[in-house]
Amino acid sequence: MKNKITTVVMILLAALITLGGNTSCKSKKRLAREAAEAEYNAKVAEAVRDLTAILDDETDWTLEEKEYRVQTIKDWNLQNAEVDDLLFQVEKKLARERAQADKRAEEERKRAEEEAQAKQPKVVLETNFNRIAAAASTTQANNIINETLELFSTNHVPVLIIISQAGGFNDYDRPTTIENYLNYLKDQKVSRNKVATFKVNDSGKIIELELIKK
Amino acid sequence: MKKILAMLAIVLITAGTAMAQDELSFERKQAIDSLALEKVRDLSKYIKIVGSKETAWSEANRVIDRAEELFMNNAEIGVSSLSSTNIKYYKVRPYFEHLMRLNYDRVEIEWYNIEYVSDLQRQPDGTYVGVITIFQTFRGYDKEGQLAYKDTTKKDITVYVKRKETQIGGRMIGFWDVLLGDMRVKETANK
Repeated sequence: MKNKITTVVMILLAALITLGGNTSCKSKKRLAREAAEAEYNAKVAEAVRDLTAILDDETDWTLEEKEYRVQTIKDWNLQNAEVDDLLFQVEKKLARERAQADKRAEEERKRAEEEAQAKQPKVVLETNFNRIAAAASTTQANNIINETLELFSTNHVPVLIIISQAGGFNDYDRPTTIENYLNYLKDQKVSRNKVATFKVNDSGKIIELELIKK
Repeated sequence: MKKILAMLAIVLITAGTAMAQDELSFERKQAIDSLALEKVRDLSKYIKIVGSKETAWSEANRVIDRAEELFMNNAEIGVSSLSSTNIKYYKVRPYFEHLMRLNYDRVEIEWYNIEYVSDLQRQPDGTYVGVITIFQTFRGYDKEGQLAYKDTTKKDITVYVKRKETQIGGRMIGFWDVLLGDMRVKETANK
């Protein structure tokens, strides 16, 4: 009898243990699923929030930050219709912004290049030659002459004017000085020559100038 | 006989080479033709500036210095008048000084039809010589702004172009030196 009771108790215990373990395993899976669902929902909410903010220009992110955010959301691969729709719209918007930014950057680069170019002695000289020739008065021409002479080591820097380059060598006009040449432009009111070459000293001042007929 | 022929061939080749070196290519000749014409046009601007009563004395003197550099030493400029058959010839600076002193309130001087009447020709000494003709219209106005005198003069200017060398920045530069010679009056008309 005692043995029978013991056996029954053992069976009951085994049943209880089995039942209890099974219930615990099911609960963990559910919890994990719920956690995953919660995480997914949170990501969807975050994605919707951020994408909407980008679309409505309600962020202070830079274009690069926005592009990075969109890429992160894409990498989540949420497969959510609302998120996919927002991604489509945001990507189109950012592509437009990128094109505009690239255009602005290119314009800025060109402007900087032109500014740097305008500061080149060759360009400054040719611009000033034209300004002297077109000056409305002797005083105005003299002011530009003085301004131009600042680029030279002295007022007597030699100026050579190439009149022909036929036959592989240069034919020159009678050499003059920069001061006389600038006054010549003022007198003749026409600038017929452009800069061919020039040499500068250690201080960056021009010490020799070669011009050529336009 | 063979020796004589060989020597003759060498002489001919040498002479031919020397002549070829002296001959300017069409492009180079054209460049010096244009250069000489340009100097005459430069002179016309200088005459206009010095003749203008609006030009400051210091500026006029600076321009006269530049104009003098265009001419050969002792070159002369002819001046005519409708009131006289005589043509007075001035050296360059006195000509410009005379121009500055003209007794008009306002002076207009225009040069036009500036062209070669005799192309630049190479002389035995290597100088190229030609003649350029110009037409000059002179108008003098009195204090009331009325035209007091007007004439049109045809003048011939002899031009000399010579190859020279100078040292600049440690290197020899070969250049064409254009110098104007006498400026002779050919005709003066009341036009």
